[in-house]
Order: sequence, then C-alpha cells, then structure tokens
Amino acid sequence: MMDYQKPIPLKTQDNKPFWDAADQHEMALQKCNSCGHYAHPPGPSCAKCGSQDLTWEQLGSDVKASVYSYIISYRPFLPGFQDDLPLIIAQAELEKAPGVKMMCNILDCKTEDVYVGMPVKMIWQDIAKDRALPQWVPAM
Amino acid sequence: MMGTITDRCAIVGVGESERSRNSGTTPLHMALDAARAALTDAGLEAKDIDGFMSYNENDSCTSHELATYLGVRPKYVKDIHGGGASTEMLVADAVGLIEMGEMNTVMIFRSMNGSSGQQVGRGYDSDMLQTALSGGSYIIPYGSASPSQWFGMFATRHMYETGITKEHLGHVCLSFYEHAQKNPRAFLHGKPLTMEKYLETPDISYPFNIHDSCVELDEANAIIVTASDRAADCRQRPVYIMGLESRQCHPHAHYWEDTSQVAADYVADGLYQSAGVKPEDIDVAAIYDCFSWVVLRQLEAYGFAPRGEVGDFAAEGNLKIGGKLPTNTAGGMLSEGYTHGMNNALELVRQLRHDYKGTERQVKDCELGICTGWAGPDIAGALILRN
Repeated sequence: MMDYQKPIPLKTQDNKPFWDAADQHEMALQKCNSCGHYAHPPGPSCAKCGSQDLTWEQLGSDVKASVYSYIISYRPFLPGFQDDLPLIIAQAELEKAPGVKMMCNILDCKTEDVYVGMPVKMIWQDIAKDRALPQWVPAM
Repeated sequence: MMGTITDRCAIVGVGESERSRNSGTTPLHMALDAARAALTDAGLEAKDIDGFMSYNENDSCTSHELATYLGVRPKYVKDIHGGGASTEMLVADAVGLIEMGEMNTVMIFRSMNGSSGQQVGRGYDSDMLQTALSGGSYIIPYGSASPSQWFGMFATRHMYETGITKEHLGHVCLSFYEHAQKNPRAFLHGKPLTMEKYLETPDISYPFNIHDSCVELDEANAIIVTASDRAADCRQRPVYIMGLESRQCHPHAHYWEDTSQVAADYVADGLYQSAGVKPEDIDVAAIYDCFSWVVLRQLEAYGFAPRGEVGDFAAEGNLKIGGKLPTNTAGGMLSEGYTHGMNNALELVRQLRHDYKGTERQVKDCELGICTGWAGPDIAGALILRN
C-alpha cells in the first residue's frame, strides 16, 4: 500500500463528501432534490436542471453494476500503471442508480472476458493511509 | 431557403508551413510561414489583414506576435484556448465581426509543435490533470488520461449498439491512407495500408490501434476570410461560407457520464438550416478525424448514413474519391498530419476551388463541401462551403 504510485483522488470543495465516504468504504452520491437525478460527478449545482437544492445519499458498501462500455489500455499514460497492463478501463452503470456511470478498472478479469453488460461488483482498494478507491471485479 | 449569413463572406486564401516530426523551430516561425503562404495564395499583403485569430493549448505563439512579425498593426487580435472545432468557431467569429463592419479581412491560424513539443495527452502532471478536467478525480486515478482512452469509451459502446466492427474502423483508415498516397505532402505518403496489415496491428487502446489515431506533427496552417464583395479582388476563386454552426456544447459530457450522445448530434440541424442545403447535396467532406471512429460517429450525426449503417457506408468505399462522399481527400489527420482540424479545412477549400483539376486528386465537379470540428464528445462545430 505504501508503494502506491498511481494518482490519488484529489478532494475538492465539490467532491469531498464522496471521497470522505469512500475512505470509510461507503458510497455516497449527490442527488438533486428538484429534478430527482443523481448529480454525478458532484458539483456546485445540478447539471441536469441547475438547481442548488442538493443532498447526499448513502448507497452503502454493497454496490452492484454492469459494464456499460470499456477500453483496454496497452500503454500507460500515467505514472504507476506500467505493471497493470493490459488494463481494463470501464464504465460501471450502477444498479441502484442507473443514470450514474462511473469510470473504473475491472480487476481480476482477463481482457478477453470483459464484455458490455457484464455484471460487476464494487470492492474497496486501500491505496494510502486513510484513503480508499472504489474498484470493480466480475460478479460471480 | 438561404440562411442570413449565406455567401456574405468567403475564404480567399489558405497556406501551411512545412510538416515534420521535428521542426527544429518555434510555432511563431511556422505560423509566419503559413501566414505568408496564405497571403500569397490570396494575392494579399499583410497590411490588408486587420484581424488575427488563433487557438492553442498553451503550445503556440499569439496572434499579436504573428501580426507583429508580419510588420502590421492590426485592429484586433484574439487567441482562444481550444483544440478541435476551434477553426469553425473562429471562422464564425470572423464572419460576425466582418458583418458588423468591425473588420475587413481576418487571418485565422493554428501552429503547433505537436510532435517535438507538447503532445496532447502526454507529459502532463497527473494532479494537474485531475484539477483541469471536470470530474478529474473520477478519471485520472483509473489510468485514463489519453484522448484514445476517452473517445474509445464512446466508441466501444457505439460499436456495441450499432454493430460497427473493427473492420469498419479499418475502412475509414484505408480510405484516408489511399488519399495520402495521392498527396506527396502527406506524412504517410508512400505508406499504403491494407486491411490485413490494419487488423494485425496491435491495439494501443482497444478499440484503437496506431492507424486509428491521428499523426501528431509539427505544422502551422492559416486561412484568410473576407467579405464576399472584397473577395472578387483576390487572386483565387473565392470559396463562399454558406452556413455554419460555430460551437455546440453538450452539457456534462465528462467523457463518461453519458456516452450515448455527442455534441455533433446537435450541430446538424442548425448547420443545414443556416446553409439551406441537405446532407445529400454535399459533394466533398472534411470530417474531423483525430480517431477513425470519430469519423463514423459524425457521419451518423450529420445525416450521411443512418445509424447502424455508417460502417457499411465506409466499407462500400463511399469515403474515397469517386465514392458518394469523398472525405479527407488529402489523407486527413489520420495520414496527412494533425493540426487540430485546420489542415482538413485547407484541403476542402482547395477541392472546392478545383485546384487539382486534371489530376486523380480532384473530386469531380464538386460544388458543396462540409467541414466538421470535434473537440471531443462535448464540443463540435461545422461549416458548409461552396465554390
């Protein structure tokens, strides 16, 4: 864990509740009280309707999704990824929040096995002291 | 029905610098070469230009510097931050300023050491990228930092939904590489591509291999726009601006939140309405081609083939000279060279002027052309030009 060379998510004014929850192995999503859409990535107001009436909803730590799209990266474009190639970078479409797609890696999966629609489940990867990153593995 | 801006302005000159992997010079020197070539092409002198505009990603010289070293004092300079679709946006701005009488003649240029200098998607600090990109903390920690990865995410989903295959992407590449073989100035002139070779080339970011990606080079391009009544005094046959849509933005396209829509989907209606023409009227095309798939997705957006049939449209040879929609006839950014969209615009102007008349490069009897810009799934713009 101390050898983690990859970029660590930067906390900002807008995304801090998400990453604070992630550090506790919980998923929290920003939601718009005016139009009912999830506002992900979180922002200063809802990108669907402009409302500033936003709250945070806890989704817990048992989060399921399916692969909406993916690419397979054979070259590292950022530091720390050299040993992970080929790397599956995907969009996970959340089962509980179908409008939300999260960019992620699909771990423990051969590149020839990934497909659009593949069921995946979230796991927590501890990447630094008190920091955790949501990641995804094939759901058995 | 003609739009309000139809035929009121024209492109009267185009020019470019040398094209190379390593220019050994600065963007200012290359911009001056391109600007002087465009002035010669138009039969104008530098003092005839009263407005200079450019776009960059902190990798170029300014419009003010270019004007200074052409020895003129312009009324107006403008530099915007931007990549693809900026050519279309600046042409629209030039038309607006000419129409309001603020300006007579505008030079628009793009100069970049895109190979030897700062390359798109490479050499950035990862924390800076997280801050610079909207939603960056949800992208960068997963290793996604290259346009090939961002656009690939859209491509895989679109291929899944429409049945577009790797071979279909290959047909886009083959068509443009074939054009490059007719263009001695194309960087990949002398390097033809076969489907067999395309398919056996390993991927960089599936679904893209090196042939699906543009050729990053050092180069500058310039375009001169003026009012139509002044265009008659220029050396070249004017290419009139029939219609345009300058810069449509698709909200919240963080490269991953909604991969089903792209900004180009919203450009077509306004574009064709402003020109008073339909897709079937277009004879020749310059389609932004940072990646092969981007061409297919735009052909769908601009109504050249129905969704689900764009792959076959390319496979049937329709993008080649002699096909239904000869596209990127100098080789495009996939094989001529990459200057953030402007070299394709130069080629379209030359085709519409019939500069290649009597050669195999000329699209026969072409009257009407489309030039599209794509900064990504989030920003697009387009022009319709006529001779």
